[in-house]
Amino acid sequence: MAELLLDPNIRGWVFLPIVVITFLVGIVRHYVSILLSTQKKVELTQVQDSQIMIRSRLLRENGQYIPKSAFLARRHFFNNEETGYFKTQRRAPVTQNPMSDPNMISEMLKGNLTNVIPMVLIGGWINWMFSGFVTSNYCFSIFLLLFIFGRSIKINYNFYFSAKVPFPLTLRFKPMLQRGIELVTLDAAWVSSASWYFLNVFGLRSIYTLVLGENNAADTSRHLQDQVSGAAMSMPPDPKAAFKSEWEALEICEHNWALNGVDEDLLGSKYKNVDDIDMYSQSSSS
Amino acid sequence: MAGKIRTKQDKDDVIAYSEIAVRNNSAVVEYCRISMAALSGGTAGVLGLTGLYGFGFYVLATISLWMMILIKAGGEWNKYFVSRRSLLTSGFFSGLFTYVLFWTFLYGMVHVY
Repeated sequence: MAELLLDPNIRGWVFLPIVVITFLVGIVRHYVSILLSTQKKVELTQVQDSQIMIRSRLLRENGQYIPKSAFLARRHFFNNEETGYFKTQRRAPVTQNPMSDPNMISEMLKGNLTNVIPMVLIGGWINWMFSGFVTSNYCFSIFLLLFIFGRSIKINYNFYFSAKVPFPLTLRFKPMLQRGIELVTLDAAWVSSASWYFLNVFGLRSIYTLVLGENNAADTSRHLQDQVSGAAMSMPPDPKAAFKSEWEALEICEHNWALNGVDEDLLGSKYKNVDDIDMYSQSSSS
Repeated sequence: MAGKIRTKQDKDDVIAYSEIAVRNNSAVVEYCRISMAALSGGTAGVLGLTGLYGFGFYVLATISLWMMILIKAGGEWNKYFVSRRSLLTSGFFSGLFTYVLFWTFLYGMVHVY
């Protein structure tokens, strides 16, 4: 495969700036989204509901470390037919359209503002700025015509390529790494500047974790983590359905006393013979 | 009685982990892993490794980081991590992205032009 000879100036004026720009844009996006974020207003009942859900989940997960009577008492509080929390609380079903809520619209707008728009804008700008060629289809067809009919015309490819990945790739990667350049014979390892930008966007994501700390706003996958860590502010959209599923989960939750015989372990094997005295009979009954 | 024996056996298997501590440990290991990916990617780029040698270098770096963590944890890694294998495999591919980026970056800076 014929090697391309790239101008060393491309290294200083295209290759390096793209890395720096991508990195700094991520940092700026982090702080802008902190500036734009507003504390959500929540109602008291919603906070109460979400806390109850968290407590019930904790009981399901860690219920094996409390005695069976305590477990049953807690479950009674949640699940009893007459007095249980999940049975008595009647919440009006929330069937609001997200589009009718002005807060929701502004939240979505801010999310777009901080995530999508910089991506598109910077990507488009880099594509335009560093390709040295206005990338519309029309121009490309002219370029291709030139290429096909006038091979003798020397075309400067330097404008199009900024990097080379140091490993061979199959032809399948060509549309990914050489966006907009349809040269069949070229090695797929050459990367155009726009694709180099996208490679940066994905590769730098974990660097932001290092620089900005956990749960930073530059990382778009943080919304998932909010749900996992059980943020108190995230209330279930429909309390009734959430209560019902939680009630079911708690109802089928079985109590396995995990600390059976922990007193013997603590006292040592000397008291092994008291094993017959079944103090914690709840363990065997489950 | 059968139920009792079962729970007795279970008791030996049950190791209670503090969820906060486990999460903290995995975050620290994640930091190590990202740093390792970036540094080893830079090293591979400067050395000019290409093709399978580069990926082999990443696997080597991952395994050596795993060994270093295990040596640091000492004989009782069980106290700090739930599973030894997931310590090796989790985050392998997200680290690979960072590695490839740094590898390509320094390879391009040093060897291409």
